[in-house]
Amino acid sequence: MSYTSYYYFIFLGAAFGLYTAIPKKYKWIVLLSASVVFYLINSRWLIIFLLLATVSVYFTGIFLNKINAGFALAKKGLEKEDRKKLKKNITWQKKAVVALSLIFIFGILLVLKYSGFFVSSVEFFARIFGFNPHFKTFNFLLPLGISYYTLQAAGYIIDVYRGKYRATDNFFKLALFLSFFPQIVEGPIGRYDLLADPLYEGHKFDYIRVTKGLQLIFWGLFKKIVIADRINIFVNEVFGNYQKYSGSIILLGSILYTLQIYADFSGCMDIVTGSAQLFGVPLSENFRRPFFSKSVAEFWRRWHITLGSWLRDYIFYPISLSKPFMKISKFAKAHTSNEYFSSLIPASFAMFFTWFGIGFWHGSGLKYIVYGLYYYVIMIIGMYMEPLFVRFFKAVRIDRNSKPVNALKIIRTLIFVVCGMTLFRADSIKVWFNMIKKVFVGFHGGTFLKDALSCGMDKQDFIIIIIGAAIMLIISVLQEKGLNIRDSLAKRALPVRWAVYACLILSIIIFGAYGVGYETVDFIYGQF
Amino acid sequence: MEQIVKILEKIKPGVDYVSETDLIGDKILDSLKIVQLVGELDDEFDIEITPIDIIPENFKSVQSIYSMVKRLEEE
Repeated sequence: MSYTSYYYFIFLGAAFGLYTAIPKKYKWIVLLSASVVFYLINSRWLIIFLLLATVSVYFTGIFLNKINAGFALAKKGLEKEDRKKLKKNITWQKKAVVALSLIFIFGILLVLKYSGFFVSSVEFFARIFGFNPHFKTFNFLLPLGISYYTLQAAGYIIDVYRGKYRATDNFFKLALFLSFFPQIVEGPIGRYDLLADPLYEGHKFDYIRVTKGLQLIFWGLFKKIVIADRINIFVNEVFGNYQKYSGSIILLGSILYTLQIYADFSGCMDIVTGSAQLFGVPLSENFRRPFFSKSVAEFWRRWHITLGSWLRDYIFYPISLSKPFMKISKFAKAHTSNEYFSSLIPASFAMFFTWFGIGFWHGSGLKYIVYGLYYYVIMIIGMYMEPLFVRFFKAVRIDRNSKPVNALKIIRTLIFVVCGMTLFRADSIKVWFNMIKKVFVGFHGGTFLKDALSCGMDKQDFIIIIIGAAIMLIISVLQEKGLNIRDSLAKRALPVRWAVYACLILSIIIFGAYGVGYETVDFIYGQF
Repeated sequence: MEQIVKILEKIKPGVDYVSETDLIGDKILDSLKIVQLVGELDDEFDIEITPIDIIPENFKSVQSIYSMVKRLEEE
C-alpha cells in the first residue's frame, strides 16, 4: 500500500475518521491499531521482527528503570567512595544489558539485510588468498521499515541508558512509537522524547491543523507523481543504457536523477508529515532546501536530516568524545606543532565511522559504502585545507561569505552532489566511473536534442518538469527567506486559497505520471 | 567565563561570543567545532563532557557553557 495509492488514502481517511470519533483517552489506541493493520497489509508475517525489536527494547528499558530505582535507594546513606563503587557496578550492568539489546536488534537487521553482502565479501577475500568457497545464501524478505525502526529503537534504548528519560512501562505505547504508520516506511527517524506526548495525548479535530496537513499531502503528491515519477522513465533509460548515449545526455540524466530523488523522497516526507499532522503528531523535519547548501557538510545537515542527526548523536559524538580518542588528540597536541590538525583527529576517526555508516545503511553493497566514503573524503579534505582557504581569501582580499563566493560554493556543492547521486543510482562503481568518464571524454554526441527526446520523455514532459522544478525553486527560496508557505496561504482571501488548491489537485490529476507507458514507481527510499 | 571566550575565539574567530545567545541555532558551532570545543574544555577545566551533555541548551551561549562546566566540575 504505497503512500501514493488510492488504498492508502482510503485507509488514512478511515483511520482519521475513527481517531476523530473516539474519545481523547483512547485515540492513541486507534493509531496503534491502524499502524498494526498497515504493517500487516504491507509486510504480513514479517511483523514478527518488529515485534521482536519492540519486546527487546521494552524489557531492556524496564530493566534499566529497575536498576536506576535500585541505585537511587541504595545510594542513600552511603559514603562517597561506596557510592562511586556502586555506581561503577550498576553502570557495568546497564552497559551489558543495553549492549545485548543492541546486538539483538542490529543482528536481525544485519542478517536480513546484509548477509548476502557479507557472504560475497568473504568469498571475495578468500579468492585473493587462493581459495574458492561457495557459500549458500538466502535472499531474505525485508520487513517493512526495518532500517528505520531499528535506528529508532536503538536511539530509544541508548537515551534511556544515558538517563535522558525513563523507559515507558506501557508496551503498547512503545509499540506505537516504533510502528507509527506514517513514518514506518521511509522515516523520518523519530526520537521518543519528541514523539511520545503528541502520539499518546490525543488531539481533537482542528480545522486549521487538518487543512494544513492535507495541503502538505497534496504538495508531496505533486512532487512525487508529477515530477519524480515522470523523470523516472528517462533516468531508467539513460542509466540502464549509458553506453548508447553521449556525455551530455548522461549529465542530463544525472541532474534529472538528483531532481527525481529529491522530489521522490521529500515528496514522501511531505505526504507522511501531512498524514501525521492530521492526527496532531509533528514528525521531525527531514529536508531543509538541501540544494542551497554551500558545502557538502551543510548538504548533509539539510538532506535526510534525521539520519544524519541520529548518526551524529549515537556514532559521531560517542566515538569522537570517547576517552581513547580524546587521549590521542591530547598526545598529538603535545607532540606536534599544529594544534588545529591535532584537534581534528578524534573527529576524523569518528567521521569515518559515521560516513561508513551512512553508506552502509543505504544498502548492502560496496557501491553504497563508497557512496558514503566519497562524501567523507570531500569533507576531510575541506577540513584539513581550511587554514589554507582562510589564508587564500585573506591574501586576495575577498570576503568568503560574500554573495558571489556563496553562489560559487552552492554550484560547487551541486556538482559534488550530482556526482554522488550518479554513483548512488549507477549499477556499480565501475559503471559510475564509465559514466563520469563519458561526461568529460565524449560529451558531444551531435544528436543531443534528438536523444533527449527519445528516452521516454517528450517535449511536454520536459516543459512540465521545468515548470514543476521552477515552482519548487520559488517555494524553496521563499521558505529559505523565512516564509511559512501554509501560514501565508491561510492569510489570503478564500478565492485565492481555493485557486491554489484547485491548481495543485488538478495538476496532480492531469499531469501525474500514470497511465499508458508509466508503471507505478515505488518510493526510492522505501527499499532501505 | 573569559577562558571559555578565549577557547571559542581560538576555535572560531571573528564572533562576538559575549553577546551571542544562540551559538547552535545561528550555526556558529557545528558538530566538528563542538568536538574541538569539548576537547579544549576537558583540558582546561579537568572535566569530562560526555555525549549526554551535548545538547543545544548546554552550548547556546558562553553562559550556558559556563553553567555546564561548573556543574561537571562539582560532579
